[in-house]
Amino acid sequence: MEYVIEVENLKKSFGNKEVLRGISLKIKAGESYVVIGGSGSGKSVLIKCILGLIEPDGGIIKINGKDTSKMSQKELFKARLKCGVLYQGGALFDSLNVIDNVSFGLIYGYGMSQKEAYKIAIEKLESVDLDESVAKIYPAELSGGMSKRVALARAIATDPSIIFFDEPTTGLDPITSGTINDLIVRCTKEMGISAVSITHDINSLKHISDRVGLLFNGSFIWEGTNKELMSTDNPYVVQFINGNAKGPFTEK
Amino acid sequence: MILDRIGRLFISFLASIGNLTLFSIKSLAAGFMPPYYWKQILGQAVQIGYFSLPVVGMTALFTGMAMTLQCYAGFSEFTAENAIPSVVMIAMTRELGPVLAALMVAGRLGASMTAEIGTMKVTEQIDALTTLSVNSYKYLVFPRILTGTLLLPFLVFIDDVIGILGGYLVGVYYLNFNAANYIRNTFESMATWDIVSGLIKGAVFGFVICLMGCYQGYSSKGGAEGVGRATTNSVVASSIMILLLDGILTFVLF
Repeated sequence: MEYVIEVENLKKSFGNKEVLRGISLKIKAGESYVVIGGSGSGKSVLIKCILGLIEPDGGIIKINGKDTSKMSQKELFKARLKCGVLYQGGALFDSLNVIDNVSFGLIYGYGMSQKEAYKIAIEKLESVDLDESVAKIYPAELSGGMSKRVALARAIATDPSIIFFDEPTTGLDPITSGTINDLIVRCTKEMGISAVSITHDINSLKHISDRVGLLFNGSFIWEGTNKELMSTDNPYVVQFINGNAKGPFTEK
Repeated sequence: MILDRIGRLFISFLASIGNLTLFSIKSLAAGFMPPYYWKQILGQAVQIGYFSLPVVGMTALFTGMAMTLQCYAGFSEFTAENAIPSVVMIAMTRELGPVLAALMVAGRLGASMTAEIGTMKVTEQIDALTTLSVNSYKYLVFPRILTGTLLLPFLVFIDDVIGILGGYLVGVYYLNFNAANYIRNTFESMATWDIVSGLIKGAVFGFVICLMGCYQGYSSKGGAEGVGRATTNSVVASSIMILLLDGILTFVLF
């Protein structure tokens, strides 16, 4: 079985607080894996550790079969080009317009000429249902939904094999959320990109996931497929999905 | 209890020095390795060298004018007015030029660097740079440090010239000095080392302002409030460092 991401016994603490307690995770090529869990359960830390933005205290992370801890800085940067990230707030560069944002990785990462990179950037904008008319607009002038689309176009511009979605629908209205969900599904199903997502949005979860992992206190307490998620009687999952105030999550 | 607190403060001070040193090594090491981001370097050069000119020039002009007036008030009691052009020349080139230019740049640019980089940090734009395979130290920090170190001496030189010109304007047009005598006295007291030492100070101050501005931006945490706090820290720390280093450099250079 070919895995794009393999995480074994990943540990991370901040001071005395143990955020990740020996997490293991394997994601297959073309699979959409969604991590769910309460606030502060370690979801973002997990993604940041995989991306090398936070150094873990222990464990092994492999991207496309290569151990990231054994990679040189150059190899790590190269590996990151194969990972797209859609940040929660978009994280578009304020000082650059839309086209420069989308073509950024192509110019600085792949060393493409501006002309070549702009051509690809326009194609990527079109693939997220935007067109050339937004190219010269600055991020501050974009609506929430548009800014998420531009961020998605930037994430797929370098033709990544894995995309990380950090709460992709947070702060969006239900219709725009639906559009973003469709775009995520299009990325995974049509483009064959593997996806790791974090979400609190149950609708989005049902829509985009192949497999789901529930993170609680720094460990996965449940893992299963999208179908199993809906039929499981695991009390943690049931409380999370139904949004109940009472249950094992809130018991001390 | 008090010892415990002093100990903690001392350890935290040492940790900050260590972090700042690591930060500067990382930035310089990344910056000197190819590829070079010329567009960023040029952009920062315009920000630091060109857009700082009005504020630096205005400060120098009024300081030169005020100094001439103050000197006149004191020196005229001893009929030593002829020494005024020399005093203005020496004070501007050795001390006031570099220190004033640096303090103005710290207020204007140090603060804006921290605010810009701090906002990028809290909105995950720096993470985005990294995941797009760009070394953020090379892209954001090095161009600022390089242009700050190279261009602050230029601003200091402009500051010196405008300050001396301010003194000349007040001396000749308000205090009725003879223009030719004023200019002769000014040039007679001009020493190359005074000017060069001021430029050296300028380069050191430029490095410190940009390093501190970027470091505080990178250390920002917790949204708008954190960025605001980091901006204040940046200006205060840069200003203190400028005055402290000015004292040390004066001892070393003279």
